[in-house]
Amino acid sequence: MTRSLTVIAALVRRALNELTRVPGAALPGVLAPSIFLVGLSGVFGEAARLPGFDATDFRTFIVPVGLLQGAAFTGAATGVNLARDIERGWFDRLMVCPAPRVTILTGVVASAAIRALLPAAFLLCVAFALGVGWPGFGALALDAVLVMGLATAMALYAVLVALKFKTQQAAPLMQTVGFMAVLFTSAYAPLDLLAGWMRAIARVNPVTHVLDGVRQGFVAHVTWADTWPALLAMVGLVAAFGALAVRSMRRVGV
Amino acid sequence: MAERAIEVVGLQREFGKGFKAVDGIDLAVAPGEVYGFLGPNGAGKTTTVRMLVTLLRPTGGHALVAGHDVAREPAEVRRRIGVALQEAALDLLMTGRELMELQATLHGIPRKAVAARAADLIERVGLAQAGERRVGTYSGGMRRRLDLAMALIHAPEVLFLDEPTTGLDPTSRTTLWDEVRRLRDEGTTVFLTTQYLEEADQLADRVGIIDHGRIVAEGTPQALKAEVGRPHLDITLAGEGPDAEAAARAVAPYGELCATTPGAHVSLRVADGAAAMAPVVRALDDAGFAVEGIEVVRPTLDDVFAEKTGHRLEGAATAPAAVA
Amino acid sequence: MRAILAPSWALAARTLRNILRRPQFLAPLVLMPTLFLAINTGGLHRTTDLPGFPHVDGFLDFQLAGAITQSLLLGGVMQGIGTALEIEGGFFDRLVAAPIPRVAIVLGRILAGTAIAAAQVVWFLLLGAIFGVSFHGGPLGILLVIAIGALAGTGFAALGVLIALRARNASTVQGIFPLVFVVLFVSSAFFPRALLEAPADWFAEFNPLSYVADGMRDPIISGISVGPVLEGLAAAAGLVAVFVALAVLALRGRLREAR
Repeated sequence: MTRSLTVIAALVRRALNELTRVPGAALPGVLAPSIFLVGLSGVFGEAARLPGFDATDFRTFIVPVGLLQGAAFTGAATGVNLARDIERGWFDRLMVCPAPRVTILTGVVASAAIRALLPAAFLLCVAFALGVGWPGFGALALDAVLVMGLATAMALYAVLVALKFKTQQAAPLMQTVGFMAVLFTSAYAPLDLLAGWMRAIARVNPVTHVLDGVRQGFVAHVTWADTWPALLAMVGLVAAFGALAVRSMRRVGV
Repeated sequence: MAERAIEVVGLQREFGKGFKAVDGIDLAVAPGEVYGFLGPNGAGKTTTVRMLVTLLRPTGGHALVAGHDVAREPAEVRRRIGVALQEAALDLLMTGRELMELQATLHGIPRKAVAARAADLIERVGLAQAGERRVGTYSGGMRRRLDLAMALIHAPEVLFLDEPTTGLDPTSRTTLWDEVRRLRDEGTTVFLTTQYLEEADQLADRVGIIDHGRIVAEGTPQALKAEVGRPHLDITLAGEGPDAEAAARAVAPYGELCATTPGAHVSLRVADGAAAMAPVVRALDDAGFAVEGIEVVRPTLDDVFAEKTGHRLEGAATAPAAVA
Repeated sequence: MRAILAPSWALAARTLRNILRRPQFLAPLVLMPTLFLAINTGGLHRTTDLPGFPHVDGFLDFQLAGAITQSLLLGGVMQGIGTALEIEGGFFDRLVAAPIPRVAIVLGRILAGTAIAAAQVVWFLLLGAIFGVSFHGGPLGILLVIAIGALAGTGFAALGVLIALRARNASTVQGIFPLVFVVLFVSSAFFPRALLEAPADWFAEFNPLSYVADGMRDPIISGISVGPVLEGLAAAAGLVAVFVALAVLALRGRLREAR
């Protein structure tokens, strides 16, 4: 077991290297959610006057969207990196070493969870600076868990895509799906205000639960009733994509 | 240690639509042997290697590496093999030392021993000076050396090298050859693929020649070459329009005539090239022919290849001569 | 004049052929704005109830022009990236060495941009028609939308070429891509100017994109009103004039450097 943990730690360290050694690379991913927060609230801010928003201002309402977008993008980036490693032959090295495939997979996606905290932290700083209310440490802790969980789920999905297509050209497939997963939810308005077709999609989309879970601290209080669906959805996504990814890793070269 | 380091029976790999990249290969490599897998691009060398190192699953036949089946016990195989594939598989952002330590960790080397083992191997391949620099700054030769060091981190029983010197300058090539010889002396089995005749000739204890997914010849380099032909004398006649036919008749008693090429050449197969030279020249002289040049040409593995497959090995003539 | 037009058409045709051969590059141009359109409409369609929102049959009718503007901007970025890659790859130098007027080199790309822009506008108009948008301006209105869109798209293509000529490499140009979103956020492309929050509303007042989007929006949501349409045409024409001129100047500058 300790050997597995050592391997995972070593792979995570390698992934984090990119952040410190290619400083410009992480910047767009870190800044983007904040830019969208400012931009979208500047444009659509008045929407919050609609009954149904319950006196929350629009910016506060969409902060959770930014947090999850950062998570989704980080997860996609993990998949793009894996695709690059496959193209460069480094992935062969991983496949040929005696470490179990589950350990290697964990090492590859664990960094996504940690990296996702970066754009999230930046976004929160910007949000608080612009007057968004403090949700409390409990809520923030929950949000951190949900962000890391979604990032992991997205990373597992992106790994699946990378293993299937084996090229960095599949990057848009990873990014767009993550993007849509977070936005085809109660992202810009509460469920009741969504158009019929959108509401139907949002109801089925597990990320809606995750989003609502993150949002509770900002618009009201954290309650168990709103928390357990979020955690369940998150665990479900990780488990589902995780199982598929492990299977895919085991079948490399078959 | 297993009786045979590598044992392959009927190995086959089919890709969609019935294309067989590897079409029924049998081979056996003894422990401590250097086996050279020689063939042109597209012959199936890399596909074979990938199957033997568990990166690709065979679609037919089976293979045992270090005593374990590649399809049924891949984890056991991976514990005992070292792999350096065609493209040096390195992370350009890490330093040489960091990469070696990561490799050590991946291979389950106990944490306390990681740093020392990494340093040892970096030293062994002559990269001690560059260990703290990022791999992105290394030259091609340095990257190959690091790649080799990574393959050796866990002291494998069997080492697989896929075209290890392609694209390297002559000095780097010689360095790598020396390292392979050293590994063989230490008891490591080496399975290397190459498209360079000289490499197979010089390094391999035994050579397997592969073409279109099948082994067309196998044996020690000397045995293979002897099978194809004895050395022959290549005689270039001087003067304007010499009568090659007459010259051929003059030297015929000393060996076996090859088809006379038009012009001023006569080729004669002889038992011992050097010893036959003097009498042949004297015979031509007596017959009134002036000799512009005479050369002993020994059969090469390319000749073996041509004999078995009907065409020449690609790149046979273009491998740069290694520095002696 | 003919000496300039003929090679320009030829180069434009070449660019278009290359793009059509690899249609996957067209996808992000229309796919992403279409997705945004769907998401914005699905999420915010009730905002039409807000006091101050102009009278529309539906939020989609309002958003369509914004999606078109976004798509046209992305088209400009794509022309820029294409030009930068051509410069990096050396084909640009070959064009410079050819016996054609230098201006034709940039005009070719820009004209290709015009054609693509028209196609993009038509795509969104079709999309709108399928999803129930009624075009209050009728056929003339539709033509006006295409006209403004094609003009604006031409201007954006020129902007893309301009940036490519000035930038050192293709990745710099690619870095411009996120700015598309930023510059649209400070315009009235997606939401009525009267309802924008400060300071976005102030920027939107001076942002030519606001006028381009409003100019295309008007024939869709109300009959054709002279004001917004003329402003839209003027803004688009202004973009063309300014950026084509700058692009030609940049070309001259670059060629002078090379000497």
